[in-house]
Amino acid sequence: MASSSPATATAHADAHPAHLQHHFVSSDQQFDAAKMGMWLFLVTEVLLFAGMFVAYTVYRVWHPEVFVAGATLLNPWLGGLNTVVLLASSFTVALSIHFIQKGNQKALLINIALTMAAAFVFLVVKYFEYTHKFHLGIFPGENYAYADVSVPYIQQFFSIYFVMTGIHGVHVLIGIGLFIWLAIRAAKGHFTSEWYTPVELVGLYWHIVDIIWIFLFPLLYLI
Amino acid sequence: MSAAQTSGVAVTPPPVHYLNHDKSIRSWLLTVDHKRIGLMYLVSVSLAFLIAGILAMFVRYELMAPGQDIMTAETYNKFFSMHGIMMVFLFIIPSIPAVMGNFALPLHLGAKDVAFPRLNLASYYIYVAGGILVVVALLVGKVDTGWTFYTPYSDRTSDAVLFMTMAVFVAGFSSILTGLNFIVTIHKMRAPGMTWNRLPLFVWGIYATSIVQVLATPVIGITMLLLFLERLLGIGIFDPALGGDPVLFQHFFWFYSHPAVYIMILPAFGIISELIAVFSRHPIHGYRFVALSSVAIAFLGFLVWGHHMFVSGQSAISSIVFSLITYLIGIPTGVKMFNWVATMYRGSIRLTSPMLFALSFLFLFAIGGFTGIALGVLAIDVHLHDTYFVVAHFHYVMMGGTVIAALGGLHYWWPKMFGKMYNETLGRIAAVLIFIGFNLTFFTQLILGSQGMPRRYFDYLPRFETLHAWSTYGSWILGAGLFLVMFYLLHSLFRGRTAPSNPWGAATLEWTHATSPPDHHNFHHTPIVTHGPYDFLSMSKGAGDGHFEEGSIEAVPSGA
Amino acid sequence: MEHAEGHGHHITALRTLLFTFLALVALTVVTVITAQIDLGAMNVPLALTIAIGKATLVVAFFMALKYDNKVNFLVLTVGLIMVVVFVVFTLFDTAFRGDIDNVDERTIDQIERIEAAAKG
Repeated sequence: MASSSPATATAHADAHPAHLQHHFVSSDQQFDAAKMGMWLFLVTEVLLFAGMFVAYTVYRVWHPEVFVAGATLLNPWLGGLNTVVLLASSFTVALSIHFIQKGNQKALLINIALTMAAAFVFLVVKYFEYTHKFHLGIFPGENYAYADVSVPYIQQFFSIYFVMTGIHGVHVLIGIGLFIWLAIRAAKGHFTSEWYTPVELVGLYWHIVDIIWIFLFPLLYLI
Repeated sequence: MSAAQTSGVAVTPPPVHYLNHDKSIRSWLLTVDHKRIGLMYLVSVSLAFLIAGILAMFVRYELMAPGQDIMTAETYNKFFSMHGIMMVFLFIIPSIPAVMGNFALPLHLGAKDVAFPRLNLASYYIYVAGGILVVVALLVGKVDTGWTFYTPYSDRTSDAVLFMTMAVFVAGFSSILTGLNFIVTIHKMRAPGMTWNRLPLFVWGIYATSIVQVLATPVIGITMLLLFLERLLGIGIFDPALGGDPVLFQHFFWFYSHPAVYIMILPAFGIISELIAVFSRHPIHGYRFVALSSVAIAFLGFLVWGHHMFVSGQSAISSIVFSLITYLIGIPTGVKMFNWVATMYRGSIRLTSPMLFALSFLFLFAIGGFTGIALGVLAIDVHLHDTYFVVAHFHYVMMGGTVIAALGGLHYWWPKMFGKMYNETLGRIAAVLIFIGFNLTFFTQLILGSQGMPRRYFDYLPRFETLHAWSTYGSWILGAGLFLVMFYLLHSLFRGRTAPSNPWGAATLEWTHATSPPDHHNFHHTPIVTHGPYDFLSMSKGAGDGHFEEGSIEAVPSGA
Repeated sequence: MEHAEGHGHHITALRTLLFTFLALVALTVVTVITAQIDLGAMNVPLALTIAIGKATLVVAFFMALKYDNKVNFLVLTVGLIMVVVFVVFTLFDTAFRGDIDNVDERTIDQIERIEAAAKG
């Protein structure tokens, strides 16, 4: 969109930065608006997952033994590893914002790359977990075919497990796409200490993906 | 976007405004101008209303006499389902927020655009994608679940449900983006001097609506996704055959769909507040109460979803809690009704067509509201659940409330949108026709329901025949009224008188500071707001900085 | 418009970020270990408490909500209240399902007659 300067006689006397869209008065207004929009979006993500957490709670209240039995079929060490990997990626995202705020474009790029790598590791681990379960015949819902553990309603647990981690995984995948986009723009030097809104927003998104996993890990793997 | 040249140029003979500054198709399809996006929504939403309305006319025609008349029972199921789904997800939910919200909200705030114009355009195309999916589902097979998609039936019936759940998911996404955009716009884009206490009440209505859109819509998203996966992969969250709980589906569905009722009605409240104040030429009575009651309704609306499930087998404690909170909703709604009536008291009332729609709203919504309180009573609901009483109740709220208010708003903003006046006499005739037709169609259904006529039935006992026939006659009058509106509004685009910038003598910024139609960037100068939205007194004394010409009010009623 | 000057964005110190990360890892270790011990009814609340603590750390420091505009805090709070409403109000039903005590195949008349017979 061309940043057309409207024929207003108002406060445009000061410098008009290239990233400032015409309908905003100042860069701060634009940044605050973008950030508030992102927080609102994050709230919609929270409520999207809330639906699944409600399903989890309801079935856990009805059949607590199923969830205890189900957790034994999941590997807490792989889940724990993935938790640490995601926490580390959250850390590097926070670092990337820290560095671009100080104008360090190189450190920004490095930290985005590290985050991307961590997200990739997470998905690889998840892939091995999934394929192992499919190998055993652990499928969601009506396709559940693992004879060793056949507590009534156990397939319910795995429906919830696969849907929750699956949708979370899709979010990780989207995150990787966003980080690739950020990395390209960072490499081109688009971000400065004056303007780094996309880094900030993707960072917020990535932290919420991390937070969802912080809850999924104990609820599914541990208890 | 070659926008730069328009607004700077001195405006002489052919006035340059947002409609004609660039006439290419491309400039419309890729526009990020909130006014143009609002108009594109207007066209799409009207199309959905037309199709779904015609389906309703067929359904009504079929019901005129017992037994099969013009369609089979299967087609009938498909028709009323399509009517409900299209009306709810493609028409009512986007109608006022996406059409009039998009058009009027930034103007009301004195902003140049919404906070995220490109997101706004994206939200429109996501809506279109949702609409296309609905059409695909329509062509692929029969969706006969009603708009509620209750499991386990929706697990078993035709695969077209897969497309329909995706359509609802996608349309919901569009709704979320619109709501998100508006909240940020209201928080961050207000003109200097536009304090929270100077916001027009339409803005408060949209604000409350947007909160609901952002908080509730993700849940319909996950609900539809789970239903989709249940059909595709057989996960057993809702299907009792797989150990799931169908009542849980109803909780999920109504966690969204009850607040969605407030997505539909809250912006209508906003429009009515504008119309009543402007056409009574009297500041709104109890501004803060009217404003904050919208927000109160938005939040209370999240706590009552279980009143749709009194006979579903949910626990008694749950029914009691939901029933109790349902009564509470009556309080902020009553606050609004009384304040509107109080606003008219000693006002100088002008019975223009927008005002006639507003007055119909007060009457029809009162019936809709009172029947709602009746249905919130546990014992009465057991008797009336799933009867025509419920059908009539929500049509009084949705059509008598939202659609009538939307028509009022459309008549009110039409001169601003297109710079043309419609035929006022025809407008009044249409408002009266719609009022009569509506009551004939749906009051009969209140009686039918209380006598035990179940909803969604193809056939019925002979003793219901008379009232069904009258209801169908009513639907013809209603349809005629709506077609009349369509006729004279379209006619005005070609033959209408040129509208002055403030034909109604309103005091909000889009009338006082913008031309009709507005400039591409809304205002020539960013407005500095110095008085409230209904401060008619200081405006006519010339204390305000608007250019309202005395006399243009009189020009409207007599110039029909 | 909350910031007066152009460079008003808060920069979180490296130390803070590092300590947050270390605390998060430590809490992860704690939650894995405590989950292996059978604490009876306490296992679930403990794991949830730790998870909420971790999430709070991420929100406050990594997402810098502690230093951010108040309105963003409000947005998140309202969202979380709705999550609680969703869970609690659904549990009003599912945790008490079938509590209607007058569901009985017999009619009231039959019951009264049986009760009268038992008394007399």
